[in-house]
Amino acid sequence: MLPSLLNYLKSPRCTADEIFPDLSAANRGLPAITSAPCTHGEGCTLCADGCPTKAIELPTDEKPEVALDLGKCVGCGHCMRVCPTKTIVTSRSTRTAVKRREDLVLRAGRPTLNVDAAHSPFKQSVVVRYVSTGDNATDLEVAACTNPIFDASRFGIHFTASPRFADVLLVAGPAPLAMQEPLCQTLHAMGQPRVIIAVGAQAISGGMFCGGYANANGVSSVLQPDVWVPGNPPHPWMILHGLLLAMGHPLALHT
Amino acid sequence: MNTQPGVFTGALKMDEVPIMQLRARLKSEIGDGNRLGLLTAADGADGHQLLTLIIQTQSGGVSLLNSPLPHDAVSYASLTPDLPQAHWFEREIADLWGIRPVGHPRLKSLVMHDSYPTDLFPLAEHVTAATARKRSRRAPYRFTVVQGNGVFEVPVGPVHAGIIEPGHFRFSCLGEVIENLEIRLGFVHRGLEERLTRCDWRMMNYLVEAASSDTAAANATAHAFAMENLCSVPAAPDVRKMRYACIEIERAACHIGDLVGICTDLGFGAGGTAFSALRGDVLGVAELLTGTRFMTSVIVPFAHKYMPAKPLLIEATRRLRTCSSQLRSILPLLLNNGAAIERMEGMGDIKTSLARDFGLVGPAGRASGIAYDVRKVIAQPEYEQVEWQPPTYFEGDVFARTRVRAEEAIVAMELAADMVSRITSSHEPDSSPATLPANSVGVGIVEAWRGELIHLVMTDSHGRVSRYKIKDPSFNNWTALSIAVRGRLLSDFPLCNKSFGLSYSGTDL
Ligand code: SF4
Ligand code: SF4
Repeated sequence: MLPSLLNYLKSPRCTADEIFPDLSAANRGLPAITSAPCTHGEGCTLCADGCPTKAIELPTDEKPEVALDLGKCVGCGHCMRVCPTKTIVTSRSTRTAVKRREDLVLRAGRPTLNVDAAHSPFKQSVVVRYVSTGDNATDLEVAACTNPIFDASRFGIHFTASPRFADVLLVAGPAPLAMQEPLCQTLHAMGQPRVIIAVGAQAISGGMFCGGYANANGVSSVLQPDVWVPGNPPHPWMILHGLLLAMGHPLALHT
Repeated sequence: MNTQPGVFTGALKMDEVPIMQLRARLKSEIGDGNRLGLLTAADGADGHQLLTLIIQTQSGGVSLLNSPLPHDAVSYASLTPDLPQAHWFEREIADLWGIRPVGHPRLKSLVMHDSYPTDLFPLAEHVTAATARKRSRRAPYRFTVVQGNGVFEVPVGPVHAGIIEPGHFRFSCLGEVIENLEIRLGFVHRGLEERLTRCDWRMMNYLVEAASSDTAAANATAHAFAMENLCSVPAAPDVRKMRYACIEIERAACHIGDLVGICTDLGFGAGGTAFSALRGDVLGVAELLTGTRFMTSVIVPFAHKYMPAKPLLIEATRRLRTCSSQLRSILPLLLNNGAAIERMEGMGDIKTSLARDFGLVGPAGRASGIAYDVRKVIAQPEYEQVEWQPPTYFEGDVFARTRVRAEEAIVAMELAADMVSRITSSHEPDSSPATLPANSVGVGIVEAWRGELIHLVMTDSHGRVSRYKIKDPSFNNWTALSIAVRGRLLSDFPLCNKSFGLSYSGTDL
């Protein structure tokens, strides 16, 4: 008892004061698209050639700009590293959640993520039921949101075991066949109003699993998410951004 | 032929052992103290074949046995009656190939749920009409029913109360006491092994990192060694140091993370807070060295991506040493805490004999007197620069598992600091071959934080990956969890479960 108390008093406060700080300079971040012209016309295909999830669509005659789907991106860093023209660069922002799936597709005309202030049924507080469907790194990052560093409860975010009490269904992992029914049952046990958040590239698109016999193609094969959090796994700040965005919280809305 | 995986020694060859002799051969090998690394199936030229990987715990070599089934055959005599540790392997083979182990004491599906078509055996590709006719459909899953006056069932999951993976636990209880626990997994079966044979071999590393994404570094390393073993291309010394350092950092972060969980399950909030802040620091080192908290996309076959510059290596070494001494100073909060010890001591114990029969690996094995540690058995010079021994206890209870994991976390950070400090250049070597060799096989074995992790890769006559098998350490340990809680109170289950800290997705694949 005494040593615990002493340690408790001795340790400095570890809760992060800055809300949604950029990722550390060492972090590889996620790709972003600038307005610098792409030289695909002269034959460059470097970014798309090395993208493991085919997240990058090179320009065509009909669509003259590169498009990068953050919902498929596993954050390998390849495209940001090889792009000679700085059309694809690194973004270390942690305000990455969006409310429409198509907003995750970055283009030169729409280089940054679009956070709209559409209304939310919740304001001060939400209770979250988390369901993992096969991405345990994201489980750890969601759990980290509740630790004293990120301290989700100061934003009025609480996790619950029972879907009956939950406002938010937070889903990670690619939602393979055997988890699809439990996922739907969890949703149906929740009251109204409710919000669904897909967290991580695997939940959004299946990531590398997409296309197999297990139908692990992402949450949207069975549910319609209201908020999408990219990243593989997303940083705890990115997950908190998704939750605060679902709440319509002012902190999530400024970019 | 024997060879040392993980350490480049040239091409690995398969020994053919007739299926009729396999049982006797395995019985004598395991009786001599060798380990059943994995048992799986593959398609051969003339039908299905069983593949067995044996690890020689004395010499550190491995042998790979190939046992073709007779033409069109879809059954063989089960190995489980002689070798209890084969029981889940055989269930997995039955699920994915439709090959029946005749005489298996408890044959039921493991990863293929009732939501899949009952005639879908996803990995059996070269199936003749005759084989298809002989295969029986997968039977619907039935839980074992425990009968008796006052026995009732408590179903838990697949969606669990905490922020963890899905799986189903069926407790049969008499009052508060657990009489039997049946663990039903497979909820996160994502068809990983099939995906691996479909994707470009240069992209496989991204997929194996997601096998159990909390073990990305160890999976990527086992994959890299397997691919290098396949191609007979050795990894550069700095690359090897970096890979092993990542595995050690992963080990420290995950063990400390589970100490948080154990504190939470004990209702010891102050301890949990101290450990979770430290876990954040360790992840910060991972981020510094690799660019992500989970060390993804850097460990690749034949190379290492984003090799950090010298000042970062020095900084990482310093921070790892600080974290390690900090863990030393806060550990007594948990390990010398009378109230905590009272809950952990004698709880959920697994005897050495049982641990041996079921082939337990990793910290759970070492807490039950099985000293086996890949880092000691398979010679790896990177691990020989620092004097260390894997902690081993004999009690096999929650307290022993907790101590093993805590002590391993300290050693892991010291080993990682040593390896990082020895990296000499930030040059990124790349020795990727243009194509993979045909009809070859490669094995990579590492000690992941949960224990022995094995990757096996095979190519066909065109040099395409035709079979890829991952054996996650959890695969060996789940049965021990269900035995450890027998006769215990239902309310003690979460603590027992956390002390094992097993992976659902690594098992389900
Ligand atoms: S960072 Fe994302 S978009 Fe870029 S290559 Fe990697 S996975 Fe593809
Ligand atoms: S790497 Fe850059 S320049 Fe080349 S195609 Fe991609 S976006 Fe265009």
